[in-house]
Amino acid sequence: MREYLNQIIAIVRKDFLTEMKTRELFSSMFVFAVLVIIIFIFTVDLSITRSNEVGPGVMWVAIFFSGAIGLNRSFMLEKENGCMQGLLLTPADRTAIYFGKLISNLGFLTLMEAFILPVFMVFFNIDLLPHFFPLLLVIFLGTLGFCAIGTLLASLAANLKTRDIMLPILLYPLMVPIAIASVRMTGKILAGEPLSEMLNWMGLVLCFDIIFTGTAVMTIDHILEE
Amino acid sequence: MTLSPSSTVEPAIEVKNICKSFGFRRAVSNLSFEVQRGEFLTIFGANGAGKTTLLNILSGRTRPSSGTAKVAGFDVTEANPKMRKEIGVISHATCLYPDLSPLENLEFYAKMYGLDRPEECAEKAVEGAGLKKRRHDPVRTFSRGMLQRLTIARATLHQPSILFLDEPFTGLDPLASGALKDYLRSLHTDQRTLLMTTHDISCGLEMGDHIAVQIDGRFALMEPNNGLDPVAFESRYMNLITGGKEG
Repeated sequence: MREYLNQIIAIVRKDFLTEMKTRELFSSMFVFAVLVIIIFIFTVDLSITRSNEVGPGVMWVAIFFSGAIGLNRSFMLEKENGCMQGLLLTPADRTAIYFGKLISNLGFLTLMEAFILPVFMVFFNIDLLPHFFPLLLVIFLGTLGFCAIGTLLASLAANLKTRDIMLPILLYPLMVPIAIASVRMTGKILAGEPLSEMLNWMGLVLCFDIIFTGTAVMTIDHILEE
Repeated sequence: MTLSPSSTVEPAIEVKNICKSFGFRRAVSNLSFEVQRGEFLTIFGANGAGKTTLLNILSGRTRPSSGTAKVAGFDVTEANPKMRKEIGVISHATCLYPDLSPLENLEFYAKMYGLDRPEECAEKAVEGAGLKKRRHDPVRTFSRGMLQRLTIARATLHQPSILFLDEPFTGLDPLASGALKDYLRSLHTDQRTLLMTTHDISCGLEMGDHIAVQIDGRFALMEPNNGLDPVAFESRYMNLITGGKEG
């Protein structure tokens, strides 16, 4: 078990070390997310529509769209110089590789969210601070589901020539339940409703998080095989 | 085919009737052979003969379509982590992260192999590869020879008892090639089992104590190398790959 955890930590550390040196992933994700928010700001008339109603949707679209860029890039890194082959030749369990990549992706996306939320607050003129902790929980659950299935599909798409197109095509339909639940919960939180009022939505996201992670654990062996 | 039939010890590599097809194309066809521990088998063959596919099967990266293969006593189809601890693979890909330094790359692999004191192991391996001065530079700035030395350090970091080498001399200058030969000799002296594919006949004959020629997925020839003459062997080899048949 200790070796298993060390292998997961080694993958996460390696991914963050690479990102610290290149800064490719974070910068592209952040710029893309800001662009999405700016585009919506210009297309939605906030004098007619209330920010609280349209804001959650825009925020999650920005997170999911920029997240897909990150997911694609994370496995491209492993494809360069055949590094995935090197990884698969180590005695590491395939699920350790999956969890390592999942935690890395979750970390990058969470970091991007930490930077994008203030941008979102400024552009939509919404004060998120009074709802900080419930919002944090909802964002974490939504992001976890996105990364759980996204990491699995990115590992699958990495072997395809059309990986840049295939990942969103495979990912977004599966993300619909989590996207709807996350947007609804964020809207309710911004409207000042307590978390106890949205337990159904939260249960739905949690279920999908577990299903996606379980599916990944069961299938990653076959997906990573050449 | 057996290289040393008298041996009673379990062979390092044991292949029985393996086949591998990609669609209608057969890359490996009904191949059977054994390699005893400490032996060095060189496999010659033209491009597309199935050498790389054979190495991929033996290292557990590709499943054979049929047949069985055991490496270090483990079935290659079972994706056994214990088997992966026993083997090292040097292929066309370096398997090195270009933005990380040699030290960071090897430390990462040392952790993945579960080695004790990974930092120390990586430091030692970088020094052994003669890259101490550039241990903090990103790998993408390295020359082909330096990359190959680092690739070998990566593949042998965990002291595997069996090493698979897929055309390891490709793109190396004579100096780097000589250094690699010396290193492989030292591994062979150290009783490691080596299986190497190459197009370079003189180099292959110089290194291997057994040789095989793979054509269309099967071994057309397999014999001990008792001082085979490179010129005579080359003419036999050319005869085999251009359609002539032998034993």
